[in-house]
Amino acid sequence: MVYDVTITRLPMRALFDLTGSREMLSQCCGDLLPPFSAQPNRMSESGGRRLMSTGPDHWLLMAPLDDEAALAAALQPEGAPQDIAITGLSDTLTFFAVTGREVQEVMAVASPLDLHPASFPADAATWAEAFGIKALIRRIDDGFEIAIDRSYADWFEDVLKRVVV
Amino acid sequence: MAADTHRLPEGGRIDRSRPLRFCFDGRDYTGFAGDTLASALLANGVRIAARSFKYHRPRGIMGAGVEEPAVLVELEGDAASGNRPATTVPLTDGLVARSVNTWPSAAFDLGAVNQLLARFIPAGFYYKTFKWPNWHLYEPAIRRAAGLAAAPTEPPKGAYEARHAHADILIAGAGPAGLMAALVAGRAGARVVIADEGTEAGGSLLNRRLKIGGKPAMDWVAAAVAELAMMKNVTHLQNATVWAYREHNLMMVHERAPENPALLGRNWRVRAGQVITATGAIERMMVFEGNDRPGVMLASAAQAYVNRWAVQPGRRAVIFTNNDSAYAVAADLAQAGIGIAALIDSRDDIPAHARALVPGVEVLAGHAVTSVQGNRRVRAITASPIRGGAARRLPCDLFAVSGGWNPAVHLYSQSRSRIVWDEALSSFTPGDPAQPVRAAGAANGVFELGPVLAEGAAKANAALGRASQVVEVPKADDAPYTISPLWTAPGAGAKAFLDIQNDVTVADIELALREGYSNIEHVKRYTTGGMGIDQGKTGNVNIIGAVAEQQGKAPEEVGVTTFRPPYTPVEFGAIAGRRAGPVVLPYRHTPLTGWHKDHGAVMYEAGARWRRPGYYPRPGESFQDTVNREARCVREGVGIYDGAPLGKYEIKGPDAGAFLDWIYTNVMSSLKLGDGRYGLMLTDDGLILDDGVSFRLAGDRFFMSTSTGNADAVGQHMERLLQIERPDWRVKITNVTGQWANATICGPKAREVVAAIGTDIDLSPDAFPFMTFRDGRIADLPARIARVSFTGELSFEVNVRPRDLPALWDAAMKAGAPFGITPVGSEANHVLRVEKGFLSLGHEVDGTVDAHDLGMSWVMSKKKPDYLGKRSVDLRRSAGRPRRELVGIRPLDPNRQVPEGAPLTPGGRKEATEGFVTACVWSVVENRWLGLALLTDGRARIGGRAHVRLPDAVIEVELCPPVFHDPKGERLRS
Repeated sequence: MVYDVTITRLPMRALFDLTGSREMLSQCCGDLLPPFSAQPNRMSESGGRRLMSTGPDHWLLMAPLDDEAALAAALQPEGAPQDIAITGLSDTLTFFAVTGREVQEVMAVASPLDLHPASFPADAATWAEAFGIKALIRRIDDGFEIAIDRSYADWFEDVLKRVVV
Repeated sequence: MAADTHRLPEGGRIDRSRPLRFCFDGRDYTGFAGDTLASALLANGVRIAARSFKYHRPRGIMGAGVEEPAVLVELEGDAASGNRPATTVPLTDGLVARSVNTWPSAAFDLGAVNQLLARFIPAGFYYKTFKWPNWHLYEPAIRRAAGLAAAPTEPPKGAYEARHAHADILIAGAGPAGLMAALVAGRAGARVVIADEGTEAGGSLLNRRLKIGGKPAMDWVAAAVAELAMMKNVTHLQNATVWAYREHNLMMVHERAPENPALLGRNWRVRAGQVITATGAIERMMVFEGNDRPGVMLASAAQAYVNRWAVQPGRRAVIFTNNDSAYAVAADLAQAGIGIAALIDSRDDIPAHARALVPGVEVLAGHAVTSVQGNRRVRAITASPIRGGAARRLPCDLFAVSGGWNPAVHLYSQSRSRIVWDEALSSFTPGDPAQPVRAAGAANGVFELGPVLAEGAAKANAALGRASQVVEVPKADDAPYTISPLWTAPGAGAKAFLDIQNDVTVADIELALREGYSNIEHVKRYTTGGMGIDQGKTGNVNIIGAVAEQQGKAPEEVGVTTFRPPYTPVEFGAIAGRRAGPVVLPYRHTPLTGWHKDHGAVMYEAGARWRRPGYYPRPGESFQDTVNREARCVREGVGIYDGAPLGKYEIKGPDAGAFLDWIYTNVMSSLKLGDGRYGLMLTDDGLILDDGVSFRLAGDRFFMSTSTGNADAVGQHMERLLQIERPDWRVKITNVTGQWANATICGPKAREVVAAIGTDIDLSPDAFPFMTFRDGRIADLPARIARVSFTGELSFEVNVRPRDLPALWDAAMKAGAPFGITPVGSEANHVLRVEKGFLSLGHEVDGTVDAHDLGMSWVMSKKKPDYLGKRSVDLRRSAGRPRRELVGIRPLDPNRQVPEGAPLTPGGRKEATEGFVTACVWSVVENRWLGLALLTDGRARIGGRAHVRLPDAVIEVELCPPVFHDPKGERLRS
């Protein structure tokens, strides 16, 4: 093994793409959402739900898959006001946990993102690139979580394992 | 086993307790750990180690590092690689190397016969000589004769890695300036990456006997390296060359021996806030007749061999210089027991500080070397006073030369920063920076050690944004440097080499200038000077100087050629990293990939990296049998295909309808709830970007499908338009390609199969007509079913969540079994769409045609005042020039297949094409080959004939309308 790292393909989770101003989203979604982070590319968490700032007026709500139906019923994507869009995207991403003693080494191979704690603190989360494809990266205990388009998952796992082994 | 005859009894940075065996050109030798292949060969008295690229002249080792122009070797075994300068190959036990471009060996090379032909093969001879009948007839033989090492036949046994890094400051070079800069930046807490090409830090200090702070300079180096190692904010890469300087301070670093033993090499892509190039300087050759004889060596290299590797490169030396640095070399050689026959200096006035270094050595001021004696090695040289006088013959076996020093400005120049001529140094030095970059030390034209250290500290402070801060640096003693250039010695001509590696002589430069190649870039290309693997490190400035002499100009008027990466050769493996073999390109799977494979599908990429089933062969079936069976099944019964990769977007907002009207050529805003419409999307310049169907989900929501291959491009196109052209429009776009997968059930029996699966949607034609969608449940799964057709048959595109697709597919296969349902691959789909005359991007849409050419004027709205690309289409067509238009073709011989892409020419003659065949398939409705083509004025020629011109045949085809099946569309609307 080249690097002491564990790669785990994670189970599906509920995902909702939210676009619109935070004021309108707050008004529309109320306390369904964790508080909005003050800074871009940061993540807030509340009651098992995570809210990531992924761009200007763009957010990704993440929750356990068990929560999907309840969230969909509460958020009512089809009935959202005109200037916000709420779209269920649970099936679009596959998540990998990359953890272990040498996780920084593997992440340096995978992504050009600067993951130094000064640049990418504990609550950071951002769309970036991993092995040349679009990837959502955030810190987790003992490592990082990388989400990529579901269709690339087999290839991505193959590359990750080649880096590690 | 050859004896280690030229090794000094003590000294050097080699480990004498670790002898190493190696083989060169079939002979066994020994060296020590710490040796390079070059130092070990010299220690063993090997003088001829290579043959020249073109003339196969005998060559010996001339340099001591990356500048080596003469001796390239090919390594065998596990370390197999080609064209490695022997000076950069660390010696390892069991190393097997051989000289390149020689047979059977460098010492005895049959290719040396080329020397007899030298006068007939000057620069550019092959441009003039091998033109008839065709250059390519001669090219292979010429390349073999004047070649370099072949690439290894086997892949390397081990892994490479490519990785990213970030730094506040990247420092290229761990010589005195680089180390000093790293210490200052590291102590200040900056994130520092320092990379150095040498196997150990120290740069020029490794080769010289200097003192810093009153102690040997290498003690200071060791302390600096140790201090840097303790800093967590510093990454120190040794044996790692910064080989490219890209935009926005993205630096490429090739690390040749990573600490991780599992890795053969590694490429770093370092994004740096600031860059300091402390890349040192490279010594130039002197240019005189016979300056390539084995035994001629750069003075600095001779100094390195005695001091660093404890090797005597000769017993008796003559030194030839035009600058001060060679005097210290003479002193070091004498210290190592090498007799100094004389020091020849082209300058009349020699500084006292230089003479003081060699008190007992005869100095011939105002002299130049006019010839070298000895065929296979230097035996003597002849020196004459430049202003006339008696010549002197000086016996020697080592001829050390120094033509002055060039700051290594390669990286600095790659950053697009200016480099300027420095008259005092007679070389190019860094000028105004184009990126956040600073040069330090010798790379900045500062050659004395004390000022070098001070500049390293100052440049680090400047990079830290505290330029006014002064850091104390240790004191160091070094001699000043002065130079008076001698670009070419008297009599230099056909055997005075400017570019040793590419065999470019003074005579070649003269020839190029005579033939009108007066620009330095043209001289370079005509003569190939500076285009070798060494990129002319020792010769380029000499070429500029020689051209300046010939043209009567100053060197700065001649200018400099472009420095391009890589600075030194880089292994492809390191660039690729782990992205090699089966994962070199991404591949995408649908939720049904496993099913397809389990059922024997032949999978391949079909756009946007998706691997899709091409066809599902059954035992005993040919490819064509399979495709015919699948296509017939759709025409006559029912088929099912995996449509998951189709691009999908949700468009939402008060301006969503207007937005779609703008980006599509037809009107979408008038769509009723639940209805869909086919649309064509153009680029700004009126060319077809994509096509697809959009449905209205709600008053302000639309569901857009795109082609598979252009899904991402369409998304980027829409985002660009909204963010740049229409930032005030209230439209939200969400890519839902991955949220909706689909299985498309198509064929006359499709409705029965969908019904059999079980759905709460009324499937009757009146309740669910063509170009509508319905949300509901099927197989107890939430679904959105759309009635669109790419095959020309009744078709239900059943969209479900990807997690549900396998269940849907299984249900469809089970329910469809009584109807003979068959999975259909992309090959059969291609047949079906060609029969129906549906366009395919990349086939009929080739980047030149518009909708009118394709017979789709109906999709170009006449109601809308404007839409994206409209003006460009109108403008282009207003010229009234003939257009290539879509037609159907039927070969007169129904069994004759026409290759897709084949040209159509008038009468099949060898004339300019009038079109090409976009698609040709075996039609299951006509039982013959037929196809589509784009043909000049094609529509007007329907009913006539055209000719496909192939290399070995002409195929006559009948022109017909581009729809072969159900031209009224009754079946797909059924």
